[in-house]
Amino acid sequence: MGVVDQKPAFTLPADLSADRPPERRGLSRDQVRLLIIDRHANSFTHTRFDRITGFLAPGDLLVFNSSRTLPAALIGKARDSALTIEVRLAELLPDGTWLALLVPSSPKKMEELFTQGLIVDFEWDLNCEVLKQDRRIPRLWQLRFSKTGTAFLDLLYRIGQPIRYRYLSAPWRLSYYQNVYAIQPGASEMASAGRAFSWKLLLQLRNQGVESASITLHTGLSSYLDGELDRQHVVSEEKYSVSEEAADKIRRTRNSGHRIIAVGTTVVRALESAAAEFGGEVKACHQYTKLRITADYHLQIVSGLLTGLHEPEASHLELLAAFVPPEKIYAAYHEAIQRRYLWHEFGDLNLIL
Amino acid sequence: MKLLAGKFALITGASQGLGRELALTYAREGVRGLALVARSKDLLQSLASEIYRIRPNLNVAIINADLGSSVEVERVAAVTLAACEGRLDILVNNASTIGPVPMPYLLDYPADDFHQVLNVNLIAPFLLIQNLLAAMIDHGGSIINVTSDAGRVGYPGWGAYGISKFGLEGLSQTWAAELAKTDVRINWIDPGNMNTAMHREAEPDEDPTAWSDPAAVTDIFVFLASDSGQHVRGERLEAQSKWRARLQKG
Ligand SMILES: NC(=O)c1ccc[n+]([C@@H]2O[C@H](COP(=O)([O-])OP(=O)(O)OC[C@H]3O[C@@H](n4cnc5c(N)ncnc54)[C@H](OP(=O)(O)O)[C@@H]3O)[C@@H](O)[C@H]2O)c1
Repeated sequence: MGVVDQKPAFTLPADLSADRPPERRGLSRDQVRLLIIDRHANSFTHTRFDRITGFLAPGDLLVFNSSRTLPAALIGKARDSALTIEVRLAELLPDGTWLALLVPSSPKKMEELFTQGLIVDFEWDLNCEVLKQDRRIPRLWQLRFSKTGTAFLDLLYRIGQPIRYRYLSAPWRLSYYQNVYAIQPGASEMASAGRAFSWKLLLQLRNQGVESASITLHTGLSSYLDGELDRQHVVSEEKYSVSEEAADKIRRTRNSGHRIIAVGTTVVRALESAAAEFGGEVKACHQYTKLRITADYHLQIVSGLLTGLHEPEASHLELLAAFVPPEKIYAAYHEAIQRRYLWHEFGDLNLIL
Repeated sequence: MKLLAGKFALITGASQGLGRELALTYAREGVRGLALVARSKDLLQSLASEIYRIRPNLNVAIINADLGSSVEVERVAAVTLAACEGRLDILVNNASTIGPVPMPYLLDYPADDFHQVLNVNLIAPFLLIQNLLAAMIDHGGSIINVTSDAGRVGYPGWGAYGISKFGLEGLSQTWAAELAKTDVRINWIDPGNMNTAMHREAEPDEDPTAWSDPAAVTDIFVFLASDSGQHVRGERLEAQSKWRARLQKG
C-alpha cells in the first residue's frame, strides 16, 4: 500500500502554491480549476469549478462544513519577560480551555520558555495562563484565557489575525478566509474545499435540484510548524456535530439511491464517524472522533468528495485512497502539476465522483 | 402566541432612537434572542437592563462596534452567529449617521466624512447581509433596511446621508432580485419623520414635537419580521402610511 509510505509521492514545484485568492488574480471565487477523478473509470476531466453543475444531478446531496474561520493567531507578551509569543489556537476543549501552538520570538527550546503558570498578555486586557503541554501533540499547550464564550470571541476578533503561511504574497484579510456559507465561528483555518462556492453557484445548484446539508467540524491547524510532526500528519481528536435536519437529508438521499458528496475531508470524517457510531446510519449528534480513514476503509455514507490538492507527503493523501487507489490519485496529480494547477487554500480543486 | 416567538433578531443602531424602540418592542413580542449593535456601550448596557425587566432570561448579545469599519462588521457578524447559535431570523439594518452637522452642501462635503457616511449607512448593511445570509437561507428570514425620504429625493444639504440611502434602496432592490427564489425576504422601510437625536441635529430649527415618537412606528417592523408578513418581499414601505390595509392578509 504505497499510500502509507513516508516518502513523498511526488514533488510539488514551489510556484504551484496559490499565493493569493482567485479574486485577486483576475478570477471570480468560483472560477478556479477543477480536476474530476471518476472513481469508476480510468479518466480525468479538467474543467472550471463553476461547471460543476454539469456533474451533479438532481437529488445528489452536497454536505458542507459550516465552520467559520476565526482570526486564530494572536500576538502576546510573556508577563515578566520580553518574549513575544504568537498563539495559534488549535482546538477548544470541553472545559472552555484551548489547545494552542505557541510560537516564540526566541530560538530557545520550547520547554525552556514555556512553563506551567506562565501568563501571556494581549491587547484589550486579555490574558491566558499556560496550563500544560499536550501529550499527544507536544507542540501544543493547553491555555486558559481570562475570558470565555462570546466575550472571548469578541476580543479574539479585535486582536487576532487569520493564520497565514509563508507562500502567500500578502497578509490577506480574514474575509478572504471565509466560505460564503460558513456559519459557526470556530475553525482555526478555513475548511477550504468549499471556498470556490459562490452564492450564485449555490443558488443555481439549488434550483437545479441538488440538495445541500451542513455539519460542523471546527478544523484545527494544518501545520504545527514542525516538519517531522507535520509529516506524521497526526490526526487529532475532533468534535463534530450533525443536526437532525442534516441527518434526515442524508437518510433520505441514501434511501433514494442518490449520491452524498462531502465538501472537504472534514465532512467525510464527520459523516463516517457518525455512521461508525450508530451502526451504519447517520444520526443527529455532538461527538468526538479519532477516526482515521485510510485506503482500506470501507466508506459507508459518502460516495464523492470535493477537496483541495494535497501535499506530497503520502499521509496527507491517505483519506483520498479510501475513494480511489493511490496510483490513480498520483496519476491525476501528475496531470495537475503538468497543467499547473495551484495548491493550498486559495488554489484549485479536485472532485472525486 | 407572541408574534416573534422563537426568532432571533440582530438590530444595528440599537443604543437610541428607533433602534432602541425596536429592541424593546421585539423583546415584548417574544423573540428568542437579540444581538444589539452600536458604538455606545453604556447606552446598550442600560437598554439591556431595561430588556431584562421585560424578559429576565432573554439571550441578549451586546456588541459594541463601529459599523464604519469593515473589520468591525466581521466581528459583529461572528458574535451574532455565535449568539444566535447559527440561526438568525431577523436582521434590521437601522444604524445610520447623518454626517457632519450643520449639514454642508455636497459641494463643500469633506471627502473623509463622505466615506464614513457611506461606510456606516451603506457598506455595513451590505457586509452584514453578505456575512449573515448563510444563517438565514435554509429556514428563511426577514431583512429590513431602514431608508428615508432623502433616499428618493436629492434635497440640498442632505449630501452623503441622502446618497447613502439612495444606495441602500438600490442595494435592497438588487438583493431582493437575487434572493427572489429563496425564503429570505428583504424589504426597506422609510420610518418617516421621528423625534430622535439624529433628526434634531439635522434640523435644529424645526419643532421636533411635530415629529412622530419612534415608539409609534415600530409596528410595521414587527409585522415584517413576523410570519404574518411572510408574503411581503422586495417592497419599499412607509411606516407612517396606511400600510396595514394594503399588506395585511385576511
Ligand atoms: N429620525 C428621523 O426622522 C428619520 C427619518 C427617516 C429615516 N430615519 C432612519 O431611521 C434610522 C434610525 O435613526 P434614528 O432617527 O433613530 O437615529 P439616532 O437616534 O441617531 O440613532 C442612530 C443609531 O445608529 C447608531 N450608529 C450611528 N453611527 C454608528 C456607527 N458608526 N456604528 C454603529 N452604530 C452607529 C447610533 O448608535 P451610537 O451613536 O451609539 O453608535 C444609534 O443607535 C436611521 O437609519 C435613519 O436614517 C430616521
